[in-house]
Amino acid sequence: MELFRTILNLVSYLVVPMLIVGFPLYGLIKKVPVYEEFVEGAKEGFKVAVMIIPYLVAILFAIAMFRASGAMDFLIDGLRPVLGLIGVPPEMIPMAIVRPLTGSGSAAIVLDMINQYGEDSILVKMAATMFGSTETTFYVIAVYFGAVNIKKTRHAVPAGLVADFAALFASIWVVRLLFS
Amino acid sequence: MLNYIWAGLIILSLLFAGVSDIRDFARDTYRNGEALPVTVDFESPYDASARRQAVTVHISETDYESFYNADAPSAMVFEGTLFQGEQGRELRFANEASLPEPLSTIRDFTAKRDPELAATLNGAPAAGDSSFTGGAEFRPVHFVKMNAIGGAAFDFAETAVTIALGLIGILALWLGLLRIAEAAGMIDVLVKIVQPVLRPIFPEIPKGHPAMGMIALNMTANMLGLGNAATPLGIKAMEELQTLNSDPETATNAEVTLLALATGSVQLVPPTLLVAVMGLQINQLIFGIIIATTISTTCGVIAAKVLSRTRWYRDSEPPAIADQTGAEA
Repeated sequence: MELFRTILNLVSYLVVPMLIVGFPLYGLIKKVPVYEEFVEGAKEGFKVAVMIIPYLVAILFAIAMFRASGAMDFLIDGLRPVLGLIGVPPEMIPMAIVRPLTGSGSAAIVLDMINQYGEDSILVKMAATMFGSTETTFYVIAVYFGAVNIKKTRHAVPAGLVADFAALFASIWVVRLLFS
Repeated sequence: MLNYIWAGLIILSLLFAGVSDIRDFARDTYRNGEALPVTVDFESPYDASARRQAVTVHISETDYESFYNADAPSAMVFEGTLFQGEQGRELRFANEASLPEPLSTIRDFTAKRDPELAATLNGAPAAGDSSFTGGAEFRPVHFVKMNAIGGAAFDFAETAVTIALGLIGILALWLGLLRIAEAAGMIDVLVKIVQPVLRPIFPEIPKGHPAMGMIALNMTANMLGLGNAATPLGIKAMEELQTLNSDPETATNAEVTLLALATGSVQLVPPTLLVAVMGLQINQLIFGIIIATTISTTCGVIAAKVLSRTRWYRDSEPPAIADQTGAEA
């Protein structure tokens, strides 16, 4: 496991510099006017970033209001018995609700849980595994679809939430399997 | 679906904030206009002409509990300053003090006007006193939650712009590099390599289309935990998929599948934020994370496939446009 991780880490350190040097180098060999092409492509960067703004504002402010109003806590309390029935430990419910909504919020929850239950507790392991195994669905939708101006997201939200739900149960199951 | 979730978030916020403020009003949570009994100890004997004097404020647990009807910590001693002027005496609590509820809410609420928690001190100490018992009347507090949701909305609108603008640099870098790679024919080579693996997941993409290569790059970046690179690559993959879409405002099945892949995000190297939070503990978790992330991504992709065939989404997919770029493959 240790070796596997070291190798992966080395690869992840090397991949970026190799791509950044490799693309232009290969371009040179293929006689592409690399500088001109780079600048032409990079121009898009600003346009794409600005394009994302309205989508990101829409998603982030609504979620922030939801948290500030106390509605999120109510939702967490309300879902406790329901999710408890299907085997979710009550301490994991905040993580389950917050993970798809905000990345920084769920990192804060992991920190809270570390303070409350200790680093070695099985609950912290579950929460951290869930954090690592899925992305912030609504953020990804805003950024990926916003960049290309897609407004009608069709089944993107339910599919993303299914992935989050699967991540919740997979984390609980895998941590129980490995650590208890 | 997103329309309903979005509207739901906003309406529920308003509803909850309203209910909670009405409850505060009915219960008189903040005791607006009433004075909490406090004992003020002067550091040096009280001087009626001094503009400011350092003090220590003692609040008794029973007084606090009966006044606010809330739990109080046992030792309530706060550093503070007494200000005097024509308008009367004002008690200010030092900012580093950790205050019990509802005092900390009052401090946060009045933070815009007063840098510190402030209260009007009722009664007048006699010159030379070293201790004085009187009433502290805090600033009136109304509609705490309503204000909070307004403030949160403004704050996060700003945060969103900061995040988006912060992406400009890496977006420019990667989009520039990708343009070179495209011009040099690297993407076509990559497409040929990954096609056999990705074709079953993205049957909608014609053979040899560059979108396939971009998706492969995005997935690789995700797996290696390269958040910085994954986002621009994913956006580029979306742009490529848009060239196959006849209605640019509506997501195609392939685009939703890519999104499910990105939200599930198979990660072999855990994200930096998690490493920062967990420290060395992360070493034990990597194996579990890889299993969980594989399960969640698989479920997400299957859900995207299955949902696209249900009657709610079956007919809403925009028709694909004939593709020219991949014709030679």
